[in-house]
Amino acid sequence: MQPLLCIEHVSLRFPMMDKSILDDIHYHVMRGDFVVILGGNGSGKSSLLKSIDKTYVPTSGSILYRERNIKSYPLNQYYRLIKTITQSTVDSLFANLTIYENYQLFSGVIGSKTFHSTQELCDYLAEFNVNLASKLDQAVCYLSGGEKQSLLLALTFLNPPDLLLLDEHTSALDPKSADKIMTLTNDMIRKHHMTCLLTTHDLDIAVKYGDRLLALKEGKVHHVADIEQKNKLRASDLRELCY
Amino acid sequence: MISLLLSILTNALPFLPFAFAVAISFNILRATDMTLDGSFVVGASVFAKLITMGVFPVIAGGCAILAGMLAGVMVATIQRGGRVDPLLAGVLATFILASVSLIIMGRPNISLLSSSTLVSSAFAMGEGVGFSVVAVYSMVICLIVMLVFRSNVGLRLRALGDNPQLLLRLGYSLETNRMLGFAITNGMAAFAGMLMSQTTGFADVGMGYGMTLTGIGAIILGRQLLVYTTHQVMLRIIGEFFTALIGVLLYFAIMVVLLRFDINPMYLKMCIGLMLVFLMRGVISYATTPLH
Repeated sequence: MQPLLCIEHVSLRFPMMDKSILDDIHYHVMRGDFVVILGGNGSGKSSLLKSIDKTYVPTSGSILYRERNIKSYPLNQYYRLIKTITQSTVDSLFANLTIYENYQLFSGVIGSKTFHSTQELCDYLAEFNVNLASKLDQAVCYLSGGEKQSLLLALTFLNPPDLLLLDEHTSALDPKSADKIMTLTNDMIRKHHMTCLLTTHDLDIAVKYGDRLLALKEGKVHHVADIEQKNKLRASDLRELCY
Repeated sequence: MISLLLSILTNALPFLPFAFAVAISFNILRATDMTLDGSFVVGASVFAKLITMGVFPVIAGGCAILAGMLAGVMVATIQRGGRVDPLLAGVLATFILASVSLIIMGRPNISLLSSSTLVSSAFAMGEGVGFSVVAVYSMVICLIVMLVFRSNVGLRLRALGDNPQLLLRLGYSLETNRMLGFAITNGMAAFAGMLMSQTTGFADVGMGYGMTLTGIGAIILGRQLLVYTTHQVMLRIIGEFFTALIGVLLYFAIMVVLLRFDINPMYLKMCIGLMLVFLMRGVISYATTPLH
């Protein structure tokens, strides 16, 4: 079986910086994989995801998606296949538009799920967060952090992507909300058989979720673990191995 | 008192669609579109030229709006792909449009005093009737634009101003939406120019000078009074309209009153500018709130 995503000796270096942010990263992701990426601050986790979602262009190496260099994908086609969720919902939602208007824009994309009545939409949103259903006409910027993240998940899964990139998407939430969002995310990933790359600093999340592990250190691959190896690891082991 | 009110209305009513266009451009599309000055003149030029050629006023008006919309498309094309800075693109477009207006008119100004226009028969019945008709024209164009912004097309335009990168990620075309947004605002500016040429009785290549800044001044004034109303998303576009309406009335009221006090016209814009500086201190704190 061919990998869905091939990261081929990718390096990333910004002008005026003497050190590479990513240094010869070589890693393959198979369809249906849920990879947890660990590493300290500045290890290159977010930069790797940003290279995959075309925010950054690698200095050398290449990234292949479905055996095709990501450079050759038109942006609108690529962003239908790959979606990124970060801790900052400001980038991922229309903050000054209402929940309903956000839904209209997200559901206007080809292949998205649409609802024929407001009640159906409310029922769908309530699966993610019961508060959302009663706030359809409220501007997104007035929602709480947990509500925004739930809404973003709900809108993202209107059109489930092939590859989901989660960049510490629960790190700005309180533990209870973070746990709820992470459970919800995991359920949706499994339900839609999505491939997912998750970066986190939370070792409990890293132990509990995902089936492969990739640890980065100073922009290099530091440690990898497959499903069997990962299942044997505890939070304390991860601390030893990855930091 | 009546002459004072009339004086305010004479300036404010034809200017209203322009101020509304500025409000949409700056507050909703979040674009630094300085082309509006140029489109204002283009609208007046096209209308005046066609009227002198004997074209039916309604057709001349339609052509004037269309010319303004084309100017909007032009500036969006100059900006395309972010290759030219938006502010610079607007300045360049205004530069080009100054020549275009001259070419259209064939001379620096055209008088419309003895021509039949969209409002000439109403003004023949009296100034009150004339300005009522101008008010109706202004309100109708603003209402149409408000309806556009409440539609799905308008939603995409509002989304463009709110988070263009996300709009792109969702697969919508930034360029098409920007072009459409600029076409609407510049079409409104051209409409205002056309209306102004009819109320003043002439079209002049210099009539657009500083208009965008005047529009910004007006919406700053209006915003101070309506600072809380536009926080309701559903009423946002209506709020922007009232911002423009109240701002325009207030702006011209201040100007007319200052002139009545025999303030040297040389100091006029400086006085208004200083007042705006004080008012903007409030706007800056307002602008940092999530919805504005």
